[in-house]
Amino acid sequence: MADEAVTPKPLHVRVWDAPTRLFHWTIVTLVFVSWLSADQGYMKVHLCSGLALLALLLFRIGWGLVGSTTARFSDFLHPPRTVIGYVKGLVGGEKHLYAGHNPAGGLMVVAMIVVLLAQALTGLFANDGLHFSGPLALLISDDVSTWITGLHSLIFNAILLLVWCHVVAVGFYLFVKGDNLVKAMITGRKPHTHVPEAVRIAFTRSYIALLMLLLVLTAGGAAWFMIQGGAFL
Amino acid sequence: MAGLIAARPRVSAKAYFGAVALATALGIAAAMLLRPAFAHTVLELTGLESVPQASADSFYAQRVQPLFQAHCIGCHGSERQKGGLRLDSFAATQRGGKHGAVAVAGDIKGSSLFERITLPATDDRAMPPSGKTPMNNDEITVIRLWIASGASGTLPARAVKGAPRLVAPVTIPELNPSAVVKKRAPLAARVAQLRGRFPGIVEYESRDSADLVVNATLKHDAFGDSDLRALAPLGARIVAADLSGTAVTDAAAPLLAAMPVLRSLRLMRTKTTDATVTALAGSKTLKVLAVGKASPEALAPLRRKGVRIYEDADGG
Repeated sequence: MADEAVTPKPLHVRVWDAPTRLFHWTIVTLVFVSWLSADQGYMKVHLCSGLALLALLLFRIGWGLVGSTTARFSDFLHPPRTVIGYVKGLVGGEKHLYAGHNPAGGLMVVAMIVVLLAQALTGLFANDGLHFSGPLALLISDDVSTWITGLHSLIFNAILLLVWCHVVAVGFYLFVKGDNLVKAMITGRKPHTHVPEAVRIAFTRSYIALLMLLLVLTAGGAAWFMIQGGAFL
Repeated sequence: MAGLIAARPRVSAKAYFGAVALATALGIAAAMLLRPAFAHTVLELTGLESVPQASADSFYAQRVQPLFQAHCIGCHGSERQKGGLRLDSFAATQRGGKHGAVAVAGDIKGSSLFERITLPATDDRAMPPSGKTPMNNDEITVIRLWIASGASGTLPARAVKGAPRLVAPVTIPELNPSAVVKKRAPLAARVAQLRGRFPGIVEYESRDSADLVVNATLKHDAFGDSDLRALAPLGARIVAADLSGTAVTDAAAPLLAAMPVLRSLRLMRTKTTDATVTALAGSKTLKVLAVGKASPEALAPLRRKGVRIYEDADGG
């Protein structure tokens, strides 16, 4: 009987691609910079971080359609019944395995993208009542801009709440479930015991992400120059 | 891409969420320490701190708040809270901004509010910012006195000495031209005709009034009883007439006495006598009368009615 070649099972499985991980940590940094710059009155920095945030969010939406399996909305968006069932299972001590985002995490991703996008878009039309206005504030009346500014402040509270929920959930997985999601989002790998057996992840090549980001930045840059030139006034 | 395994908790969920609650409480406490305004809001919402109120007769309510209203609340009010600061209520003013109190009782130098309103306009930190109307010296004095006297919401206005005199704002109502035309319509044609005949003598009392004022003093002797009779069709609207120095006599008395809204009449240096004064005693609207020759007896009934009497010292 011929010896059968035995391939040792890897201890860790790659689940996150580089663009998704880079997006995640850059967003964390940009949200912090945006808050700090607004708080300290560095509004030009705030503008830059806000525009970068907007570009990244647009990129992420695109990546959610054409990116790697675990980055796609189709992979982590689940019907409400599934999300509720998953959360109930968590409370009951069950541990479901997902290579990418679990149903609750997927919901958090979408909520975060929607809220951050709303924040970035309202910021374009907001003003600080003193020396600074968002790049599109001139397109609308001062009253509307002031109203949007109020909304911009309000949405920040929603971001704080989501961040709190996110951190609490990540801590829950780490300390209660023994699943280090933070490490996985840094290295891109999870222990094979935390990944379903039959998982097959297709990774989209990173240069496509780069091209997408360039596309977003080019479109954003063109819009910026048109705004500066008064094209929309 | 899902699987299911039995999980063995490292920390119980109960312990974890207890720790989360503790960490959240510590986070809120830290935020309260770093942001006094936030701290006051939390304490007031939880009933651990009473909401400071200003009394209506306080220096704050009468002198300070109107200045905040005029200069500050565009950026520090309900719609915007630049620097986390609201100045649209005493409680909010006491809370201060994200860097703490802006008005420190008795400490003018330590009060950023005073510092910011006294910075030169070229300074980026000056308040109100460039492009907005800065506070004038009197207004700055009011803020200084308020802080120096304790930044109180209850100290009565009269207790603060040295405050600049309060100047009440004057508001001129919007003119409604069509309403004025409508009001003047009944006599408009007559008024136009007589203004043509007596240029400069008949005028409307104000820009939105249908009442008339007659001033014939510049006509001197060229204006007499017959001219006054010519104005009789307008009598129902004449509220003031200055006939001083004209040729009117007591013959005009019945006409003057019949003017139903006449409030002020000047008859100095005319040939009118006690007869005219006596005829005017029946007027229900007359408030001011200036006369040349008139006896105290004739004037007495008018004085009793509260009419202010001015007599020509020369008796003219």
